Amino acid sequence: MRRARGWLARAIAPFGAGRSDRDIDAELRSHIELHVADNIRAGLSPEEARRQASIALGGMERTKDEYRDQRGFPVIESLIRDIRHAVRLLVKSPGFSATAIVILGLGIGANAAIFSVVNAVVLRPLPFPDSARIMAVWHTPPREQFAGLSTFFSVSPANYLDWRAQNTSFEHMAIFGFRAANLSGRGEPDVLQAAAVSGEFFQVLRANAMLGRLLDTGDDADGHAKVVVLGEKIWKSRFGGDPSIVGRTIQLNGEPCTVVGVLAQPMKFPSWADVWFPLVWRPNERAVRGNHNYLVVGRLRDGVDVRRAQAEMTSISERLAQQYPADDKGWGAIVVPLHQDLVADVRWGLLVLLGAVACVLLIACANLANLLLARVLGRAREIAIRTAIGAGRARIIQQLLVESTVLAIGGGAIGLVAAGWSIDAIVKSFGASLPRASEIALDGRVLAFTFVVAVATGVIAGVAPAWRMTRGDAAEALKQGMGRGGTHAGERRVRHVLVTAEVALALMLLVAAGLLIRTFWQLRAVDPGVDPRNVMTMAVSLPDARYTKPEERARVFDEILRRVRAVPGVEAASAIDSLPLQDGGSMQPVAIEGEPVRPLSEQPELAVRDIAVGYPSVVRIRVLDGRDFTEADRAGRPLAVLVSASAAKRFWPDQRAIGKRLTLGLISNDVREVVGVVSDVRVHGLSVANAQTIYVPYAQVPMPHLSLVVRSTLPPSSVVPAVVAAVHAVDAEQPVVEIQSLDEVIGESIAQQRFAMRLLTAFAALALLLAGVGIYGVLSYTVRQRVQEIGIRMALGAARVDVVRLIVVEGLRPTLAGLAIGLVGAAALGRVLSTLVFGITPRDVPTFAAVAGVVIVVGLLSCLLPAYRATRVDPLQALRAE
Amino acid sequence: MAETTDVWRGTLALMILKTLETLGPLHGYGVARRIEQTSGGRLSVHYGTIYPALLKLEQEGYIASAWGVSENNRKARFYRLTRAGRRQLARESHEWALTTDILSRFLRAART
Repeated sequence: MRRARGWLARAIAPFGAGRSDRDIDAELRSHIELHVADNIRAGLSPEEARRQASIALGGMERTKDEYRDQRGFPVIESLIRDIRHAVRLLVKSPGFSATAIVILGLGIGANAAIFSVVNAVVLRPLPFPDSARIMAVWHTPPREQFAGLSTFFSVSPANYLDWRAQNTSFEHMAIFGFRAANLSGRGEPDVLQAAAVSGEFFQVLRANAMLGRLLDTGDDADGHAKVVVLGEKIWKSRFGGDPSIVGRTIQLNGEPCTVVGVLAQPMKFPSWADVWFPLVWRPNERAVRGNHNYLVVGRLRDGVDVRRAQAEMTSISERLAQQYPADDKGWGAIVVPLHQDLVADVRWGLLVLLGAVACVLLIACANLANLLLARVLGRAREIAIRTAIGAGRARIIQQLLVESTVLAIGGGAIGLVAAGWSIDAIVKSFGASLPRASEIALDGRVLAFTFVVAVATGVIAGVAPAWRMTRGDAAEALKQGMGRGGTHAGERRVRHVLVTAEVALALMLLVAAGLLIRTFWQLRAVDPGVDPRNVMTMAVSLPDARYTKPEERARVFDEILRRVRAVPGVEAASAIDSLPLQDGGSMQPVAIEGEPVRPLSEQPELAVRDIAVGYPSVVRIRVLDGRDFTEADRAGRPLAVLVSASAAKRFWPDQRAIGKRLTLGLISNDVREVVGVVSDVRVHGLSVANAQTIYVPYAQVPMPHLSLVVRSTLPPSSVVPAVVAAVHAVDAEQPVVEIQSLDEVIGESIAQQRFAMRLLTAFAALALLLAGVGIYGVLSYTVRQRVQEIGIRMALGAARVDVVRLIVVEGLRPTLAGLAIGLVGAAALGRVLSTLVFGITPRDVPTFAAVAGVVIVVGLLSCLLPAYRATRVDPLQALRAE
Repeated sequence: MAETTDVWRGTLALMILKTLETLGPLHGYGVARRIEQTSGGRLSVHYGTIYPALLKLEQEGYIASAWGVSENNRKARFYRLTRAGRRQLARESHEWALTTDILSRFLRAART
């Protein structure tokens, strides 16, 4: 207790508490006076009395020092003294300080911003209790049938039920799927995104209800009353945060549903869900084994790790494959921690970005080191004197490091402000393509990270100058004196090494950015197979509950399309169940007539798209052979399909596809006839070459969900209100959502690439700027240092051109060295980037060449001003200055 | 006796507290003189070492100080015991007595 009080007193002493120096002085002087008086009384002469008193005290200065040491903590006091000193010095040269702080602010700010993204997305555990135990469980499809497509596959109901019954690794396992939920009866009709979840879903997550209760195993029994759980966000935005919502009935998909609870939502899971309702399967749906439409999560039991769960799931899958070869042959299961599963797509890109900002910061560090070096050399004399009067080397190093750290912390503060802004911008522009984007914030961890980075930056940047300055001996420095003597060869080498490193780092970043820009161009240059210009799209869902009969649905959609086509400015309109390049399009097994009969699980899987009449012409898909669907292809007529050119080539490589027949086993066992071959459309992503697609006419396979595609002669967005009105004229309760142009749909499919490219480009530009500033700074300093030499040269008849050459060569040497090192480094980095590039190799020659050119130009530009200054040197003045 | 050892610091603190208890409020010089005299000149250390020790005791709240005027009319900082200081003195003296008692027994026993 008392000891703690003592420490506290010492800790606050530097801030003016406790004895002042003057107090200590006075007390010791009074001590001497008292002692002198005693001594005189004892008969000593005044001088002797004073001498004796001083000896008895043990020396005035030494006693004062010891006294002061007890007052506070000596290390802290000297630190605080140094900080005060540093702040004073920095305030005295505002130009230098501002430059340094801004440079560091940019570097540290970029790091804080990207770290806060990485922190929220990758590092922070999912906001569920003991979330490391929550796993996603996927099917792995047989590779032959899904050549070139994802190895993670959704799960079929019957397989899930077997997994759940047979496994011992999971405490709870749950399945869920996407549902649209048309909300009506309260203002504008709206489509909510819903998750249909099995009873244990919330037990897997251990999520909490804010109000009421969550769903449990009683709710997914068939025939149960309809219930729904609202998400916190939708409850606030759509229901005004109504506290009495529990027990109320809302209209979902045209049916009354009782709200049983509100879910606290620290994050959205699944990412799309606004509301959750029980997943209820009829017996025939439970038996489906070959159609994979659901996602599975599970919570591991205590003491079971991923490896064991994986081993068990693999053996269960093998058993199922033997038991049900028709559906399950070749299908495996894979267990992935849910967190990893959610962020897998962006993790790599984010880590590359983090590496990029670290490079930017290193460059900023090197810049600061150069600035400090120049400054510290100007203070050589001050430091030499301090050394001469006994300041230890450690003390001086401490002082210099404190200076650079004070600058870096200033930079960190600016950086945090910059990071705050850029986080907002990042979330705004890229939030849709980043999982967990809503959790990105400047939290405590980011603040701590920024502080540590700032201090580390200060120390790293300060080390080189401090080491340089304290190495030489004091007398030497004093002799050279006056702070501007000749530049040492050693010191020049340090500066050149720093600039070389800056250029090399900047170049590597530029190459990375260049590769991503090229990748992005390549992606944009890929012909998606549709012409998105002047096409608007919007989603319309006809819920099962209100339109129970498929024919009824077909009739309503026909009516909607008829009215939309009549809207002024609309050139053509049609519909498709899943837009090109949008997630979630259907993949279905296909059986070709005339080929050996195979079970569903062994049939090749192709994209199957449900389209209304006229779809190909609206998006400019060409009919290469045969005919397009017509109004005649309706229910009751012969079943027709269109195949894409690559699908036709796959199945009938040497024959005409028209008239060939196939079966889509998931829809029905009926045989369908190919009536036309159409041009390919990239359905799975611009970078995925596989475009094999089969189209079925909507009138023959009416699905509850369609996206309208509307080509207009007017600017496409201007027809939207009239189109929405046309839909509402058919059904006023019908929500129209996801209104966007086809261009936007395609753009969204490469949003992640755009995110990585834009940020990396910004950071590379920043790095280049900083490197340019670095070259400029070093040259300016060199010109100042060599004024005399330049003066002499000019006096001896050197032309301006020679002077310019002198400076430019000085600047280009480290630039070119950095260029060479950076090119080698960038080539070596190729592997890191190979997952991020498309259509080019990571050692793309044009990119490397262009970047090298840019770096040389920037290097030359950075030489210009210093070179110009050098030519303005007046020989007479330069010589007289000495 | 080495003047920087912990034992010395500890005993010095105890001597200061005892001095202040015996003589009442006193300045640093007086405390140093008193300790020197009481030890019969066997403790010849620099007077200066008394000041960090006084400050430490004050930081820990065992003594308090204020400027005052000495018996022969000189300004000086006077130290006095606080209540916590008195308790500490009692405790420390007790422990000290105990320690010396044990040690002297031990040393005697070891000799025989």
